Amino acid sequence: MPSFLSPLFLIGALAAAVPIVLHLLRREPEPRVRFAAVRLLRGAPVEYTDRRRLRELLLLALRVTALILLALAFARPFLASATAVRSAGATVVALDTSYSMSAPGVFARARELAKNAVNQVASGDLVGVVTFADAPAVASALGADRALSLSAIDAAAPGFGATRYRGALSAAVQALGGRRGTVVVVTDLQESGWDAGDRASVPDGVRIQVSDVGAVRSNLAVTGVRAAGDRVIVSVRNSGEVARETRAQLALDGRRAGEVPVSVGPHATSEVEFAGGAAASTATVTIDDRDGIPADDVRYALLDSASRPGVLIVTSSGDPGRDAFYLQQALATGSAGGRFYRAAGATAAQLGTQDTEPIAANAAVVLLSTRGLERRGREALATYVRGGGGLLMAIGPDVDGEVVADVLGPDAPLRIAAVADATPMERSLVPIDVRHPLFQSFGERAPTLALITFRRVARVDGAGCRAIARLTTGEAAILDCETGEGRAIVLASDLDNRWNDFPLRTTFVPFVHETLRYLSGTRLHDGEFQVADVPDSVPPRPGFATITENRGRSVEKRRIVVNVDPRESDLSRMSEQEFQGAVTRLKEIGASEARVEARQQEDRQHLWMYALGLMLAALAVESLVASRTA
Amino acid sequence: MASARARARQFLDPAVIARLGTLELKARTIVEGFLSGLHRSPFKGFSVEFAEYRQYIHGDDLATIDWKVYARSDRYYVKKFEEETNLDCHLLIDVSGSMAYGSRDFTKFEYSLVLAASIAFLMNRQRDAVGLMAFDERIVEMLPASARPGHLRALLLTLDRLRIGRATDVSKPLHQLADSLSKRGLVVLISDLLDDPDGVIRGLKHFQYRGTDVIVFHVLDPDELEFPFDRATRFEDLETSEEITAVPGLVREHYLNEIGRLVERYRRELGAAGIDYQLLKTTDPLEIALMSYLSTRERKP
Repeated sequence: MPSFLSPLFLIGALAAAVPIVLHLLRREPEPRVRFAAVRLLRGAPVEYTDRRRLRELLLLALRVTALILLALAFARPFLASATAVRSAGATVVALDTSYSMSAPGVFARARELAKNAVNQVASGDLVGVVTFADAPAVASALGADRALSLSAIDAAAPGFGATRYRGALSAAVQALGGRRGTVVVVTDLQESGWDAGDRASVPDGVRIQVSDVGAVRSNLAVTGVRAAGDRVIVSVRNSGEVARETRAQLALDGRRAGEVPVSVGPHATSEVEFAGGAAASTATVTIDDRDGIPADDVRYALLDSASRPGVLIVTSSGDPGRDAFYLQQALATGSAGGRFYRAAGATAAQLGTQDTEPIAANAAVVLLSTRGLERRGREALATYVRGGGGLLMAIGPDVDGEVVADVLGPDAPLRIAAVADATPMERSLVPIDVRHPLFQSFGERAPTLALITFRRVARVDGAGCRAIARLTTGEAAILDCETGEGRAIVLASDLDNRWNDFPLRTTFVPFVHETLRYLSGTRLHDGEFQVADVPDSVPPRPGFATITENRGRSVEKRRIVVNVDPRESDLSRMSEQEFQGAVTRLKEIGASEARVEARQQEDRQHLWMYALGLMLAALAVESLVASRTA
Repeated sequence: MASARARARQFLDPAVIARLGTLELKARTIVEGFLSGLHRSPFKGFSVEFAEYRQYIHGDDLATIDWKVYARSDRYYVKKFEEETNLDCHLLIDVSGSMAYGSRDFTKFEYSLVLAASIAFLMNRQRDAVGLMAFDERIVEMLPASARPGHLRALLLTLDRLRIGRATDVSKPLHQLADSLSKRGLVVLISDLLDDPDGVIRGLKHFQYRGTDVIVFHVLDPDELEFPFDRATRFEDLETSEEITAVPGLVREHYLNEIGRLVERYRRELGAAGIDYQLLKTTDPLEIALMSYLSTRERKP
């Protein structure tokens, strides 16, 4: 489709009217004489009127063409490709296939609404279907065939993923292919679909229409299964408005091991215990919840500690219980995702030696002391991080800034210096980027991080690092450093209640878990996965699976467990206005992107040069014809 | 040259004639003025002896119809008398589209009408029978020759009714008339002769073969003889609407050669055939034409 980079220059084409007007005004410049002896003029060097008129029209056409071509050349024409901005009407139906949609009757209603949206598309407009949960997928590409879209809706089914609106809207906008149009989101409007602080950005020409399938009134979900000694502790959450009673069944290593009644109040969580889990390696807990969401009625857990992600805590004595009490306790607590860490201790001197297990066996390393950290240990840490490992450094009294300067490798030096305060000065933490994964889970509670009081801090900086939180005195509080395939988080104070009161705050445990989750995100050391995070070799459905890992020179097989994201079990809903409020209109950005795309296409095609060439050719011919006319 | 100018001053300026009222008045003014200067009786004798019957044709005076013959034969016959007139004269007027051109007071058509009326008036004074035939590419009007008292008025009315016609084809009407004439007489052709000269000359010679004298008044507008145009002009043919755009400076010489060659050919070939040829511009006094007529008339018995 022809488009123009500078369409305003097309106004210049109006100049083509000048020769036309002159032609009309001077159409009969010669006087007309009705003469009797015209026959005697035949044979004289005369110009016959028809031929002259034809020549005049040719001259006029050439002049008009030259002016139009000149205007065209200045308007920078180009042929817009299929990805360019187009104005045809288009509708993309984004159908929620998260597991919350598997509640009785919900997805049938969703299908009906989605089909209605397809059938209401104006004749001649394009329509497509995108399904979404954790990740979006194009079920039916944008096209004029409604039957394909209806068929795609019929084929869609809820899976085991959690709702993520941001990716869904992004995929739907992408499916529109730069067109103006409508995205119809067929969903149950779960509040958990937006991560804390999350927003979706859509071009201004795209209208977002929400089609609500309605609320699920009650739901019971198994949100956690963990081993505590020889017991198995199960968490059951009731998201409904009324108290519920059900029965929880435990199966150990695939064999039924017990059943207990569970009573859960409205919007509450109850824990029940099963005995006899010490010898088992896997546990499967199911509850009976016929009215709720089926996918969260079962949860799987690995009971053997070897399968849990390991965290190596480097302290002065190598005993986390003595040097990192608060951290150890935080790790012993389950995370929001039901994740537990296996903590191990080591001294800095042991790093890189045979005295401890390889660093690479851990999901993350927490460096709290540099006493005895030699070059070999620093190189081992640098190699670990560059290979995809995660390192958390808390710059407390046991950390020497000069020693850890090259702990991320010579290419990413850290600059750490203790702040020599004559008298300790109290400071607070201020997140700079609340969208950073470390702070996302805090959501509206992010301001409570400001309650932490830092009495002493270190001045931290480093190549490849960015501050994600600062202190109220301006110093960087938390650095996020990337090197190789791994990353490191540097806290400018300690984690043991010596320079700050962070461990005493309620934000400490989630902070530790989110940090370790963030740092270990790129490595396959975690034994528990959510459906959205499963390795490529594992099907995205809850259950047990075995994966193969390369650990240095050896290849190891490891058992993992896959569960649904428990946040999807929460029935909290938002209004359509709140949904729309999380959508940012990108008028300027969208227009700018379109302009950039248009400029790139025009640069590739250079049609203006052809227009200019044709104009010169037209002028040359015009000169030739005009000279003969004169 | 001086005597020519002096003689021209004796004649009426065609511009003055053009401003006169009716065609009759114009003819009368010209002829009376012309005759008053000749000092010669225009009258010649004529007889009224019966000669023959002939079948009635459109335009014959109804008074000449023999009703007794009609009662016997159920056909109209008119009585012809020997030497009813001194001379049968036929005025042939070209009314084709090209005659509509006129750059001055008269178009060629108007000039021709006044000329024909004047000649008719003059002939009527001489008791000569006068007839009329108007033509373009065909005969559009015809009035048989007659010298009866009311005939002149009928002829003038017929002239007054004439309108410009279509394309020119001079030769065809000439042959038609030549074939229909049974009596020797005089034919006066008034035309711009912008036609195929071969056809025109053949048609006129046809009269000669039949013993009829012919006078040709070749009427042209001064523009047609001088081509005075000075800027690029779109010339539209009055008969065919053909358009030719020309720069006069470039085509004048060619045109003047063409019109000169045409006039010269008519003059030469018609003269050689014994046909009187008179070139008239619409600015020329009409008395010149009358003098030419009379000089030819004088040759007739």
